Amino acid sequence: MDSVRIALAQIAPQLGALEANLVTHHDLLEEARGAGADLVVFPELGLTGYLLQDLAAEVAMRLDDPRLTRLVAATRDLSAVVSFVEESADHRLFISAALLEDGEIRHVHRKLFLPTYGLFDERRFFAQGDLLRAVPSRLGPGIGLAVCEDFWHLSVPQILALDGAQILINVSSSPGRDLAATNEVGLGTATSWRTLMRTYAQLTTSFVVFCNRVGVDESISFWGGSEVIAPTGAVLLSAPLYDEGLFTADIATADLRRERIGLPLLRDERPELHVRELSRIIAERAGLAPDMTSQPGAAPGLDIAPADPEHAPIGFRPGGDG
Amino acid sequence: MNTDRGAPSTPAAAFALPAELAIDTDIARRVIAEFIRGQLGQAGFQRAVLGLSGGIDSALVAYLVAEAIGAQQLLCVLMPYRTSSPASRADAEEVVRRLGCASELVDISPMVDGFYGSDTDASVLRRGNFMARMRMSVLYDRSVTFEGLVVGTGNKTESLIGYTTIFGDSACAFNPVGDLYKSQIRQVSAAIGVPDEIIRKAPSADLWPGQTDEAEAGFSYPELDRLLFWRIDKRRSVDEVVALGFSRELVERVDRMVASAEFKRQVPPIAKLGPRTAGIDYLYPRRRPGSARR
Repeated sequence: MDSVRIALAQIAPQLGALEANLVTHHDLLEEARGAGADLVVFPELGLTGYLLQDLAAEVAMRLDDPRLTRLVAATRDLSAVVSFVEESADHRLFISAALLEDGEIRHVHRKLFLPTYGLFDERRFFAQGDLLRAVPSRLGPGIGLAVCEDFWHLSVPQILALDGAQILINVSSSPGRDLAATNEVGLGTATSWRTLMRTYAQLTTSFVVFCNRVGVDESISFWGGSEVIAPTGAVLLSAPLYDEGLFTADIATADLRRERIGLPLLRDERPELHVRELSRIIAERAGLAPDMTSQPGAAPGLDIAPADPEHAPIGFRPGGDG
Repeated sequence: MNTDRGAPSTPAAAFALPAELAIDTDIARRVIAEFIRGQLGQAGFQRAVLGLSGGIDSALVAYLVAEAIGAQQLLCVLMPYRTSSPASRADAEEVVRRLGCASELVDISPMVDGFYGSDTDASVLRRGNFMARMRMSVLYDRSVTFEGLVVGTGNKTESLIGYTTIFGDSACAFNPVGDLYKSQIRQVSAAIGVPDEIIRKAPSADLWPGQTDEAEAGFSYPELDRLLFWRIDKRRSVDEVVALGFSRELVERVDRMVASAEFKRQVPPIAKLGPRTAGIDYLYPRRRPGSARR
């Protein structure tokens, strides 16, 4: 496709109400289809709501769940990204985002980074995904899926782009906070995310699609502000904060080709350099190699030397001449 | 970049707003309106009840509730004690008049005096706490008759320093302003149109004639708000806030107040005995599917 029409479903899922949220998804898929959309993106946990806690197990679906199968079937001649609690065969619960195309599940991305700090408690209730893959799509350009916090780790957009993704899609349930009047758009969270998305689009010379939910779960409000960013960093769509709605933008694949030829950052990436240096860092952290940045005299795997090496715990005393 | 966004619309002299505490009032009102509608909707309610004292906190909440769901869905209950300031009542009545919401006057004097009778030993503190809990009881009764949820009106400053009565004024179904410092309460109040006299007057628990929070506590709200903001929201150490210009004596005193009030901000602990215990390892959203009233 030379041009892809993307519809962002900036919805307010009902917490724990899977059936009601499924109806919303079916309705919006049809509405987007009527608007000529090629790709419809729903937010993180759009089928379940975010702050589930112990409800997570009660709304979890296996990939062969009939309710999911019916939703998948509704994507004939359409691509969609939907997100839900996925239960694996060994009964782990994941925050998953699935790319559905032409009535099939094309790819499932399980959230890699589960924030468990501040107002977040995801690791308590969910398992981490282990797989990061770009996937081919009926749309033409490769797709890279990520869920919310995944984008707060630089490696994720970079690996997806190197793996062939030209459209990076992040689905989020981002709670709005920090209303300091000095923020660019009056909301600290929105300011941070906008910076990230423009930066990633430029550094990976990819389209970045961000679909964030709205509405309220308990104390927290989700701020919306879904966006589509061009590989130049230009903003193609910026949905309003806090408003529910279906927002569309058209992207031209020629724009991405032009940017990647004019600014061949991806061509010049050095993945082997990453692997080499990361392997070294991993070995150093595990104490399997001398750590270049630790204090002289530090035991293997530790970065601070004991004040008095003679009284360091047994096993941590430096041997020989260190 | 527009750094003026959210600045108070009234003259700067109306109240002091430390620069670091200034918020985007448009976004604050939007978030709070969604929050109020969300809390009511999830519980299956359309209406709200609150105690209107004549002070700025409850006046602001009345305006916010009216903005979120319409004034016709709001009942403001005025609950003076016989020593309460007539000016407070007049201010509360002005809010009711301007909003056009339902209101009710409940004199709590017979309830309080009926309990204490001729007990002249009862301190002002005991009586004040008892009054707060009588008002809570009235609100929860009206929650039934008006079919509305009780909306909390306590602000972040008083919650942090413990200037609240546990199970009294802190009791509510939800609180839309509990994360706003007093200075921010004033900023949002100015933006939403709370009467200027209410914004300007000295905050008071109205426990005795002429009482004001600031005279009683010995510091001003803008100063206290700034200190709490840097200590708590921005995680600055004691030495770091002293370097910002706060006296060490004040910092240590406020730290003690915050620490001493921790229990007031939390659900009482339950002795852990069984396999699953509410709040520990039985964790559900307050409003689950199918739990709404209707």
